[in-house]
Order: sequence, then C-alpha cells, then structure tokens
Amino acid sequence: MTPHNGEALRLVAVRKEYGTVTALDGVSLSLPTGTFTAVMGPSGSGKSTLLHCAAGLDRPTEGRVFVAGTEMTGDDETALTKFRRRRIGFVFQRFNLMPTLTVLQNVLLPRRLAGMPVDKARAVATLRRVGLGDRLNHRPAELSGGQQQRVAIARALVTEPQVVFADEPTGALDTRSAREVLALLRETVRRDGQTIVMVTHDPVAAAHADSVIFLADGRLAGSMLAPSPEAVAERLAHLGDDLRVGV
Amino acid sequence: MMFGLALRSLRHRTGAFAAAFCATFLGGTLVMAFASLLDTAVADGVPATSRETLITMAGVVGGWGLIMVAFSVTSTLSLAVRQRTDEIALLKSAGATPAQIRRMIVGEAAALGLAGTLAAIIPALLGGRLLLDLLIDTGQVAPGVQYAFGPFALTTGAAVTFAGSTFAALLTARRTTRMRVTETLLEAGTRSGRTSRKRVVFGLLFLLLGADLAVVTATVMRGEGSDAMQTAGQTSIWVAVGFALLSPVLLRASARLLAVPLAVAGAAGYLARHNLSGRTQQLSGALMPIILFTGIATGTLYMQRVDDAALAAEGLRASVEQDNIKTLNFVVVGMLVLFAAIMLINTLIATTMDRRGEFARQRLTGATPRQVLTVTGLEAAVLTVVGVVFGTVAALCTIVPFTFARTGDPLPDETPAVYAGVVAVAAVLALATSLATTRRALRTPAVEAVAV
Ligand SMILES: Nc1ncnc2c1ncn2[C@@H]1O[C@H](COP(=O)(O)OP(=O)(O)O)[C@@H](O)[C@H]1O
Ligand SMILES: [Mg+2]
Repeated sequence: MTPHNGEALRLVAVRKEYGTVTALDGVSLSLPTGTFTAVMGPSGSGKSTLLHCAAGLDRPTEGRVFVAGTEMTGDDETALTKFRRRRIGFVFQRFNLMPTLTVLQNVLLPRRLAGMPVDKARAVATLRRVGLGDRLNHRPAELSGGQQQRVAIARALVTEPQVVFADEPTGALDTRSAREVLALLRETVRRDGQTIVMVTHDPVAAAHADSVIFLADGRLAGSMLAPSPEAVAERLAHLGDDLRVGV
Repeated sequence: MMFGLALRSLRHRTGAFAAAFCATFLGGTLVMAFASLLDTAVADGVPATSRETLITMAGVVGGWGLIMVAFSVTSTLSLAVRQRTDEIALLKSAGATPAQIRRMIVGEAAALGLAGTLAAIIPALLGGRLLLDLLIDTGQVAPGVQYAFGPFALTTGAAVTFAGSTFAALLTARRTTRMRVTETLLEAGTRSGRTSRKRVVFGLLFLLLGADLAVVTATVMRGEGSDAMQTAGQTSIWVAVGFALLSPVLLRASARLLAVPLAVAGAAGYLARHNLSGRTQQLSGALMPIILFTGIATGTLYMQRVDDAALAAEGLRASVEQDNIKTLNFVVVGMLVLFAAIMLINTLIATTMDRRGEFARQRLTGATPRQVLTVTGLEAAVLTVVGVVFGTVAALCTIVPFTFARTGDPLPDETPAVYAGVVAVAAVLALATSLATTRRALRTPAVEAVAV
C-alpha cells in the first residue's frame, strides 16, 4: 500500500474529454485529510466533471486518481461502485433520498448495500448530530429541503468515508437552510477531521471552506486560503483577466 | 391555452404516453375489426345463418374487447397521469386552477384517443377482412359474403377509443386535481396513494358476479352439455377483472406475506420489499395484466379441452354452432392474451423507465448495477407469483364448475402442460421485460439519470 501521509485525495494530470470537448485539461492537485475545499469557476469550467472524476462517478480519459493513497482502478461500473462505497460519500444539489424509505432507513442504506454491518445506534447518533433525532421515522417528502439535505449528509457520513464530495449542496435551499447546512459541513471537518470537497458557485458558501480552488476552461486557475466572500467574488470576476495575462 | 400546453406535454412525454397510445390503437383496431363484421352482416344478400354468425361474433367478441379496451385505456392513461404528479403539483403551485389542469389532462387524452382511432382504421380494415376469411374458410359463413367496413365500425371505434379515453382521463383528472398542492407533492414522493373505495366496491362486485356464475354453471347448467360454456366461459373473466381491480390491495397484502422470503435476498430483497409496499399503486399496474392473462387463458383453454373430450366421449361430432363457439373461444383467448401481454409489456416499460431517477439514486448510494437488476428482478418475480396465484383462482372458477357440470368430476382429466405454458409465458414476459428495461435504464450514467 502506498503511504499517503495524511493525503485524502490526489489527482495526477487528469484529463476528461467528451467527444471533441475537453472538460478537464490535465488537472493535478492534492488535498490533505481533514480539510474543507471549495471548487469554483464559471459555468462550464469543469467543476462537476472534476468532482465526478475524483469521486469515481466517471472515468477520466487520462490521468490517475488516488483516494487516501489507494488508486482508483477498474473500468466497469461494478468495480467503481465497490471502490466508491467504502471510501466516498456524496451530497448532491437534489437530495436524492429514496422516497419509500424513512429517514433512518435512508441513512442505513449505504451500509446495507455495501454489505457492512448495519449499525443502527451509530446512524441514530449521526442523525441526532445533524439535528434530526426526532425525525427518524419520517419519509423524505415530510421534511423541508434543508432537513432533507441534512439527512443526505448523515447518509454520506455513515460509511465513514475518506472524502465527502458535495455538488452545489446549497443550490436548492433558502439562505437560512443553506447556512445551516454549510455550518454542519464545516463542523464535521473541525470535529471529526472529515475531508470535504464542495463545488459551488456561491462566494458566501465558498467562504465556509478552508480553501478555494479556481477552475477555468478545465484547468486550475489558482487557489485561495482562508477565503472571504468578497475576496472570492473579486477573484471570480477577474478569473478571465488572469487567464489572459497568463497566456 | 391549456390545449396547447397539453400538446406540448404530449410531445415531451412520449414515453409515458406511448403505452396509452398503444392501448387506444390496439383497442381501436380490435373493436373496429369486429364491428366491421356488423357492417358486413347487414349488407344485402347475406344468407340468414351467415348473418347470425357474424352478428354473434361481433357482439360477443366485440363486447369482451370493449371491456378490455376500457380497462387497458383507463389503466395506461391513469398511469401516464400519475407519472406526472410532480409536474401537476408544479403547475398547481404556479397557480393553475384545477379546471385548467383537468382541461389539460382531458385534452391530452382526447388528442391521444383521436390519434389512436385514426391510426387504427387501416389495421382494423385488414383485421376484419382476415376474420371474415377465417369464418368463410371454416365454413361458418357462406363463401360469397362480401367484406364491408362502414358506419358500424367507424362509430363504435370512435365511440370506444375516443370517448373511452376521454372519460378515463376525466376520472383520473378529477382524483388528481381534488388533492391539495401539498398532498400532490407528497404523493410525488411515494406515489403510493390509497385505493379508492369505488375501485374496491367494483372489484368485490365483479367477484360476486363471478361466484354467482360459477354456482349457476355447477347447478342450473348441469347436464346441459356444451351450453354450460355460456355461463362458465365468462366466469374467469369476471373474477379476473375483479381481482385486477383489487390488485393494489392484493399486492400490499402479498408484499407483507412475502417479506420473509425477500429478507433472505440481502439489500436487494430489502429494497424490493420496500418498493412493493411503498409503490403499490404503480407496481399493481403490472399485476393486473398478469392476473387477466393467466386467469382468462387458463380458464378458457381448459374449458374448451374439457368440452372437446366430453363430446368425443359421447361419440358426437361438433355441430356448426359448436364450431362457432370453439372459434369464438379461441379468438377471445387470443385477443385477450395479446391485449394482456401488450398491456403488461407497456406497463412494465413505462413504470421501469419512470424509475430511472430512483435507480440512479440507488447507484449513487452504493448499489452496483447487479444489485439494481436484482431489485427489479425480485419485484417482477413477486408480481408474477401473485398474479399467477390469483389468475389461477380466477381460472378455477371457470374450470371446476364447468367440469362438474359436464362430467360430474370437480377437476378435468387434462394435461397440466397447457397451464405450465401459460404460467411460463407470464413469467418470461414479466421478467424479461423488467430486466431488459432496467438494463437499458442503467446504461445512462447515474449522475445524469438522477436529474431525470
Ligand atoms: N456528459 C457530457 N457530455 C458532453 N459534454 C459534457 C458532458 N458533461 C460536461 N460536458 C461539457 O464539459 C464542460 C464542463 O462541464 P461541467 O463540468 O459540467 O462544468 P461546470 O460544472 O463547471 O458548469 C462543458 O463544456 C460541458 O458542456
Ligand atoms: Mg456543474
């Protein structure tokens, strides 16, 4: 096994082509364990593609992906699924909960599918932590958007993944629920040392992260530590300029 | 404005409406083909016996066809409407009044019914001609009779398909629009819904009717020879329709019963169990045709075999009238079986494709493609088992009283191979359609499919 020295995610020269479109053009990066990283960039810059390739939802055309030191291998979906389900958690813009299952059953499902022991007490504890201890037997349709997203976060955490990927997790929420969800993500990083990678287009959301990575035209276009909403917005506005200067 | 919206919606929802169109088209073809026998019969110079045969054929078979058409058009249409619960909820929250939504749904159904009827004219003409040739070849109609396709065929066809689908849509629309916005949104989540009391009452009524016919066959028709078919033949149809109407209730109860064996099948069995109890309304759409198919095919085929054997034992040759009945029986079975098979395939494809988002969610939660396939495979297996069980009960309601009336024994001394064949066809249709459609749905990457 490759030693990973506290590295949760590493991408090496990852390229992704869709036909003639180059969505990712040789991206390399390394994210330490226990960090909260936001990925930003204009629409079409490759944010979602980056997330999908890094999370094993899609295969890069070229390049390598390591999660906690283990290389993501296997070409068919079954192999990728087996790789994902013990190492990676997801949170999406649309909460993607199973409508026929209760909140608790939804949270337990990833472990069931992975053939892991179904630890009810743990799941209940996780749901308490996201503030839904009193909603265990409700169905997703009976919850607000913010509550559903918190269930989705609990579900992502229940397999104790090495990285949690979130694609616009606050995109479908009102400001207040969005703030709660972001605070929750941040807390799991602070308290449990969880690693989170979040795609967002909202500078306020990005400011909850430890650092921001900027993407433009499928390439890395800089990063920022300890981001503030204003600084992020400013940087985004001039992302095109930077590129032109850089050429 | 709502009609424009309806047309646009039809164009964008081709998948959901394909099944409903197929049912209207097929129903239109069948009903018009048989109704054209009436046009043929009333022409000048048709011999009296030929005329009688043609009218009986058109009346009896056309009558059953009508019931099947009404059934399949209603079920496919309400499926198409139910699949759009979320869209309707959205329209409502955007300020559309119930009347506007009703007009949209009925507009869609009317357009669909019209298209189905028009498309069915040529196939119905060819089918009717084929029927007449068949009747002439078997000596039941005089050789000189000329085929005609006229006012009877057209009006019945239009009335049944166009009016039938519009009426079905009205019923479904009323149910959907009466719900409040939040209820609709909730139903969009689980799509389980409750079985309407009317449906249960009608289902029980049909079962009672079937039971009554069974008793009549076994008592009044005892010793009446082949005439017992008149009551026995219908019994399995009424009972099967009754069970079909009750299918959500039957499925919910069976799912509870089958929870134990499903628990053995791991995570896939777990999901299948929850889908069967949480999506009963949707899945029971596929249960109905399995019950109808098994019940009517088994019942009618064995009834005919028992009668053939009894005639042979009595040393009698079949008369022209008995030949007519025999043809009728096989035509009815063939038609109903075809209908049920198409309804089954349609419903399974429509519901499975409608679940692409759900499959994608399962995959993103860590289900391998194989696990997703196992879930739908198990669901199809449960549907087959439940459908075959109730279909068999329906068939026995024809077979037992008829065999008793005809021979004095409760069960026929016939090969079980025919039954095995019927069951095998039902199982293969359900499993193959379900698995093939799921496999196709799985081809879309999960992250894309989840947005559907
Ligand atoms: N499945 C796909 N097929 C073809 N092109 C795609 C596909 N997914 C993304 N793209 C293209 O790749 C580029 C990056 O897309 P994406 O990663 O979705 O950007 P972002 O999330 O930053 O908006 C865009 O030009 C987009 O059109
Ligand atoms: Mg995106």
